Amino acid sequence: MSHVSDMKILFSRLCSFKNGLPTFKHGRTFSQNVERPPQPLPKESVTPLPPLSEPMSNLPPVVYASSKSENYTTEVTTLSNGLRVASEKKFGQFCTAGVVIDSGPRYEVAYPNGICHFLEKLSFGATHKYPTRDVMLRELERHGGICDCQGSRDTTVYATSADSRGLEAVTQVLAEVTLRPMLSSEEIEGARQAVAFELETLSMRPEQETILMDMIHAAAYRGNTLGLPKICPMENVYKIDKGIILTYLKNHYTPDRMVVAAVGVDHEPFVEYVQKYFVDMKPTWHSEDSDTFKAQTDKSIAQYTGGLEKEECEIPLYPGSDLPELSHVVIGLESCSHSDPDFVATCVLNMMMGGGGSFSAGGPGKGMYTRLYTNVLNRYHWMFNATSYNHAYGDTGLMCVHSASPPARLHDTALVIARELANMAGHVGETELRRAKTQLQSMLLMNLEARPVVFEDIGRQVLATGKRKPPSFFINEIEKITGEDIIRVARRMLSKKPCVAARGKLSNLPSFEDIQSNMTVKNDTSGRRLNFFRA
Amino acid sequence: MLKVANTLRLVSKKGTNARALATAVGYKQALVNVPPTQLTVLDNGIRVASEDSGAATATVGLWIDAGSRYETSKNNGVAHFLEHMAFKGTSKRSQTDLELLVENMGAHLNAYTSREQTVFYAKCLANDVPVAVEILADIIQNSSLAEPEIERERGVILREMQDVESNLQEVVFDHLHATAFQGTPLGQTILGPTKNIKKISKSDLQQYIKTHYQPSRIVLSGAGGIEHGKLVDLAQKHLGGLKNTPIDVPELAPCRYTGSEIRVRDDSMPLAHIAIAVEGAGWTDPDNIPLMVANTLVGAWDRSQGGGTNNASYLARAASAGNLCHSFQSFNTCYKDTGLWGIYYVAEPMQIEDMLFNIQHEWMKLCTSVTEGEVERAKNILKTNMLLQLDGTTPVCEDIGRQILCYNRRIPIHELDARINAVTAQNVRDVCYKFIYDRCPAVAAVGPTEALLDYTRIRSGMYWLRA
Repeated sequence: MSHVSDMKILFSRLCSFKNGLPTFKHGRTFSQNVERPPQPLPKESVTPLPPLSEPMSNLPPVVYASSKSENYTTEVTTLSNGLRVASEKKFGQFCTAGVVIDSGPRYEVAYPNGICHFLEKLSFGATHKYPTRDVMLRELERHGGICDCQGSRDTTVYATSADSRGLEAVTQVLAEVTLRPMLSSEEIEGARQAVAFELETLSMRPEQETILMDMIHAAAYRGNTLGLPKICPMENVYKIDKGIILTYLKNHYTPDRMVVAAVGVDHEPFVEYVQKYFVDMKPTWHSEDSDTFKAQTDKSIAQYTGGLEKEECEIPLYPGSDLPELSHVVIGLESCSHSDPDFVATCVLNMMMGGGGSFSAGGPGKGMYTRLYTNVLNRYHWMFNATSYNHAYGDTGLMCVHSASPPARLHDTALVIARELANMAGHVGETELRRAKTQLQSMLLMNLEARPVVFEDIGRQVLATGKRKPPSFFINEIEKITGEDIIRVARRMLSKKPCVAARGKLSNLPSFEDIQSNMTVKNDTSGRRLNFFRA
Repeated sequence: MLKVANTLRLVSKKGTNARALATAVGYKQALVNVPPTQLTVLDNGIRVASEDSGAATATVGLWIDAGSRYETSKNNGVAHFLEHMAFKGTSKRSQTDLELLVENMGAHLNAYTSREQTVFYAKCLANDVPVAVEILADIIQNSSLAEPEIERERGVILREMQDVESNLQEVVFDHLHATAFQGTPLGQTILGPTKNIKKISKSDLQQYIKTHYQPSRIVLSGAGGIEHGKLVDLAQKHLGGLKNTPIDVPELAPCRYTGSEIRVRDDSMPLAHIAIAVEGAGWTDPDNIPLMVANTLVGAWDRSQGGGTNNASYLARAASAGNLCHSFQSFNTCYKDTGLWGIYYVAEPMQIEDMLFNIQHEWMKLCTSVTEGEVERAKNILKTNMLLQLDGTTPVCEDIGRQILCYNRRIPIHELDARINAVTAQNVRDVCYKFIYDRCPAVAAVGPTEALLDYTRIRSGMYWLRA
């Protein structure tokens, strides 16, 4: 440090010889000798335009659209190699286009788990046409486009939103990233790093939903299909390499497992572009013997097993907050697939259960008269969260309730939730059913306001059934649901063994048998045996 | 309630708030695809604005020119307290009636308070718009403000406070405002201090409503399946009775910006949360658009995105390649006459200094040597972000309400497009030179902040010694 102060002295001496610079006086006076008073920002603007509150001059005349109703139908075309193309027109300047693929962790049984997690991170990387991700992003940006890739357990979605006039470029980008990725070693290392970071972040965050959903699926479908983890296990992060990923892609990214869909475009040109970039141009893994190549995929039907999956651990606290430590428990039941006749009734039931955080944002409309609020959160103030979820897949479904409470209350929490689930087979009130139906209808329509949601809906439906049922179909189906339907689906669910996932401090977790015995359907649903609780 | 989401907005969110088009070429053709925004002023001064897209759903809301900035240190927290009382019943209907009415319609009612705006809005099926407007009008005019509910809400707000404290980004931004606008109403938090929350009374709330919920300061905004004429009729019917009272509305004093810092050192936390900002432009300042472009140039990133090496933002590439932080986000928060332009980042203790060096280096580059190519790219991204986020009735309704309050008009798309197109690299350099170069920054840091440079050294990173 000493040489620094020497330098300062030297500097001040040198300076004092110079003309025009103030010489330093003795004593600590420099704070008063402000050479330059603080300058307020100059008032006048640098940009030579009127304020934003006033219109610019010399703008061309404008023609606006007038509103029209949004009854567009979805057109579907199947191309020569089995690839399906679906599109729908929609009001507005922008389109959302993407690829929906029948691929996800449920098909990873023959591979190290985590490939799909890697693929998400590798999405929209370098391809044969675009030597770097940068070039591709610039191409998208030229058309005002953005992109992302998200996967669920059985579906992977690559989506872009861009100006409709850039449709051809967007289609090409989509074909490149799904069929002709480079997967260079740097990119794979980058993805490895990103996955590792994400695992670290997940373990540091107090939010548990992602981990719990993996655990409840593992408990419900032990060791098979949907039970396989969506989050890449730590031991696989350094195991997955280009070869494994390419083998997976070759077997799963096949035309018959893909749908290219778009919202806000004309069908004919879109089909033409898809033909050009998805069919005429071959995937990276295409080779001479491709015609005889038989894709190997896991075709097994999800086997619901039920059971318990628990992890005793410290759950990170919300930093700087007085919120207590929480333990989490999820209790689930097998519901039904999205093609099942009972699917709509299950959705209504899920809406009727509702729930949320005991202290969540939002005013009326968040479902404060759903059963998990009125029967659970409003009665047991120590419960911090009780939320119902329904996951529907092609061959099965899982309905579960997630709840969180301080570890000391975990026993009561688990049993309260178990009984509330058993209670689903009990009486269904006229008003609560009407409310759940209206809420489900409005939720459906509100979600479909957003273009990306419409796109995903089209893609998933066409992938699963080859066509898209319009929202009005579901609105009518919801309208038809009766109390008997609800009780029927509830009984059907409760006839099977539950699945349970728990995480946190678990010394007070009741045994699986205890939970199960609280979920048997009793014909007499009148008495809630509250005396059962420990004080 | 929603305040949390409202305090920190990226440029793309709070920024210019209007739709833009992707390319300058052919916007005339594009315009046929967007319905116009219609604006009508009622006799009592209420502004009614809407965009009719013919959708099956709609959002309507009341945007009020009132927020924590209009409070004094004595009543700081009242605006937010009122937001909490909004859904607790009116003279017409009890809290339960209100809740059941909304829930049974499948609608959502929501409210939030920011430093300058108070918002109540409803999202519903298009057929239910008349009921929604009636409910909104009822809650701002006839809120019952019953004593037992007031007592109960005190507890709820104190608990919300804990919640906000657990969100470190919120905490850092409250500190940033407290230091940058020290001694002025903008430095106050939205929730208010605990001692105020404990003693706010019914008469404080009534006084605040009387002073600030004046029809001339209210906008009724709507988007989705809403006909403008019908919305105007509904407004006339339910809000036409509101009178402007000749109460002295406190003249809104300009809020002085002070370059300064707050550090809350806590070595038990794993990560440091740091915000650094300079004084930005007010809503209407034409310099705001170039500032937003500059903001887009700095960008945002977090490490789970991985491929930061290809991000359009130089800083994202540096952060990803050099492992400089966990995440960062640049922001441009606007107020009537001032603003905050800066960056928020989360880093490990040993990363703090390197990241700050890179940030300031990037800022100086913006002021001196940003290139035409970089600016063009950022302009495209900015337009895309602004346009894509207007998907759905609620974002559009929010955009209309906010713009009418801030600009007294909704900036037409083609104008916004023209304004963004008019930004050149020289313009960005000039504007950054004015707002950033050699300015005193405001700094707020929470966590293990030992490695954060002294203020004087941070200040000395705000200029370059050049020959």
